[in-house]
Amino acid sequence: MILEARAISKEYRRGDTTFFAVDRASLSIAKGEFVCIVGRSGSGKSTLLSMLAGLLTPDAGAVLFDGRDCALLGDEAISRLRNTRLGYIMQGYSVLPNFTVLQNVILPHVLFKREDDPYEKALALLDRVGIRPLADQYPARLSGGELRRVSVARALLPSPDLLLADEPTGDLDAESAAAIMRLFAEIAAAGTAVLMVTHDTEATKGVDRVLTMRSGRLAED
Amino acid sequence: MNGNPRLVFSDIAVCNLKRKPFRAGGLIFLVALLSFVLFGGSLIAFSLFNGTDGLSKRLGADILIVPQGYDQKVEGILLRGEPSAFYMDAEWLGRIADVEGVRAVSPQLLIASLNADCCSMPIQLIGFDRETDFVVEPWIRTALPGALSDGEIVVGGAITGKVGDRLKFFEREYRIAAKMDNTGTGFDASVFMNMDAARRAADDFVAMGGSLTIPADAVSSLIVMVDKDYTADGVSRRMNEDFDYGNSGIVVVSAKKIVNNVSGNLRVLVTFVALLAALLWVLSVAVLAIVFSVMLNERKREFGILRALGITRKRLVKLVFLESGIVSLVGSVAGVFLAALLILPFRSYIHEAVRMPYMQPSIGQFILLVAASLLLSFAVGPLASLLSSRRIRRGDAYAVIREGEL
Ligand SMILES: Nc1ncnc2c1ncn2[C@@H]1O[C@H](COP(=O)(O)OP(=O)(O)OP(=O)(O)O)[C@@H](O)[C@H]1O
Ligand SMILES: [Mg+2]
Repeated sequence: MILEARAISKEYRRGDTTFFAVDRASLSIAKGEFVCIVGRSGSGKSTLLSMLAGLLTPDAGAVLFDGRDCALLGDEAISRLRNTRLGYIMQGYSVLPNFTVLQNVILPHVLFKREDDPYEKALALLDRVGIRPLADQYPARLSGGELRRVSVARALLPSPDLLLADEPTGDLDAESAAAIMRLFAEIAAAGTAVLMVTHDTEATKGVDRVLTMRSGRLAED
Repeated sequence: MNGNPRLVFSDIAVCNLKRKPFRAGGLIFLVALLSFVLFGGSLIAFSLFNGTDGLSKRLGADILIVPQGYDQKVEGILLRGEPSAFYMDAEWLGRIADVEGVRAVSPQLLIASLNADCCSMPIQLIGFDRETDFVVEPWIRTALPGALSDGEIVVGGAITGKVGDRLKFFEREYRIAAKMDNTGTGFDASVFMNMDAARRAADDFVAMGGSLTIPADAVSSLIVMVDKDYTADGVSRRMNEDFDYGNSGIVVVSAKKIVNNVSGNLRVLVTFVALLAALLWVLSVAVLAIVFSVMLNERKREFGILRALGITRKRLVKLVFLESGIVSLVGSVAGVFLAALLILPFRSYIHEAVRMPYMQPSIGQFILLVAASLLLSFAVGPLASLLSSRRIRRGDAYAVIREGEL
């Protein structure tokens, strides 16, 4: 198992009461598996994903990445893990405005010392998501769908073992969305585990498994 | 082509600043203003200290005797090079020499030149007696071992012209026999000649329509050196007692008092400058801390994204410090450079404006001042970051991303 979540919970406060945004959710994903999570808005999907990415500490339960408990890793180790083995496409826009498209894609590469040159690979990835001509543009000039594709290319740069994608096809037309899905299927076939949140029931057709989130509870379809 | 695709870590900070030139420029301006005041203020203060120091060294005399009513004028001559002419009876020379505790007395004759072609303003001509003089003599002895003939002059450091050049006063030409170093005092704008030449110059002055006729046996002032067993204050008091203070027609001026007055004024000025600089420093730290806080708040999502991409908490903080450090460094250097550019070449204007002895620091002092000013103003940026970056140094990254979305 590349990723395993054991009964993780996150409790939030709303006014005087508290509620579980994620309630004892468990899941495991193997290498090369393509899994989708569906669920209504507010059911806790993004909260779950951010805990799986190690950006949010669960109140209870454990997240294991490649068999290692993330809670036991220090900031340095978990950051390195995120940087080198995990691709995380967060909900909403996550492109940095002060860098060109190409610089954005290369960015993860400079956060930890590496020997190899990411330049060719970044351009190839931009080609794959269909925005290579925009490589030198600043994000302010890009459409929503183009920005989304920048995030996809950036998440794939380190050839991650696990890709977490929070509604990556949100504002894409049917054709572009299908292209992204094909891309994900391809990288899953190449060994990367993909966990994707989506509202698009059409998109879930070809995937290995679909999980449903309801009020913080995760269930297999 | 936009941007450099071959990024390194520090480029992240550089890009962030470059893409927000207005914001970065404003912050740099603030730091530059601070370092300008820090360096400019301390440079001027230092020059004033140096000037006062030079004055007490140059003055040489313990006591000055001038005609009654001219004690303010003599300060003007010494401190600011404001030319005056006045005289008193030469018989005072003998009477002062007889006072107990007086070791040496030497007369001087002071004449204010009309506009001379060497200089933009009237300058002070000082006739001195090479036989008895102990103030000017030590400074020119090495440069001028021989006698100073009637047609020769020794000029202060601020007078245009070099040794061998000729200067004209009251239609008569003089050859520059020696030139003194700058001292920051009134001596810099003075011209020295022997007593006979000075008397002849006084006559020339009258011949040209000058209003002050100096009698042949008169002197303008007497400079007095006190025996080392006596204090200047004690000897001054004795003179005032002996010569019926207030009615004698002369004033006994303590040289130390002049220096003390200057350093007293200086202390007030320096305290003021220091307070202003301290205030501005605290203000800069506070303003930058507030601006950085607002900025960090506005940039929460950006930082959250970097965290999601795997930047460590440590390196994120480093990035924030790098940005503020660059702002601080550029601002500090610009401010110091500008201050030096504005202050160094205009020392004579500043000298005139402050009306105090003014002498720019030596290279060593200068480097020290630059280093201290740079250090103090550079510290502002990182300090402000430290005060404002607490929020990103703790807490879950996801919370930061979420807050940044709204
Ligand atoms: N920091 C927070 N404090 C309090 N409540 C929060 C916080 N973050 C999220 N919530 C709540 O937790 C619940 C789950 O939010 P989450 O963002 O995980 O939903 P989601 O399933 O991703 O929704 P969507 O499909 O709209 O993106 C929501 O009801 C939300 O209001
Ligand atoms: Mg969500």
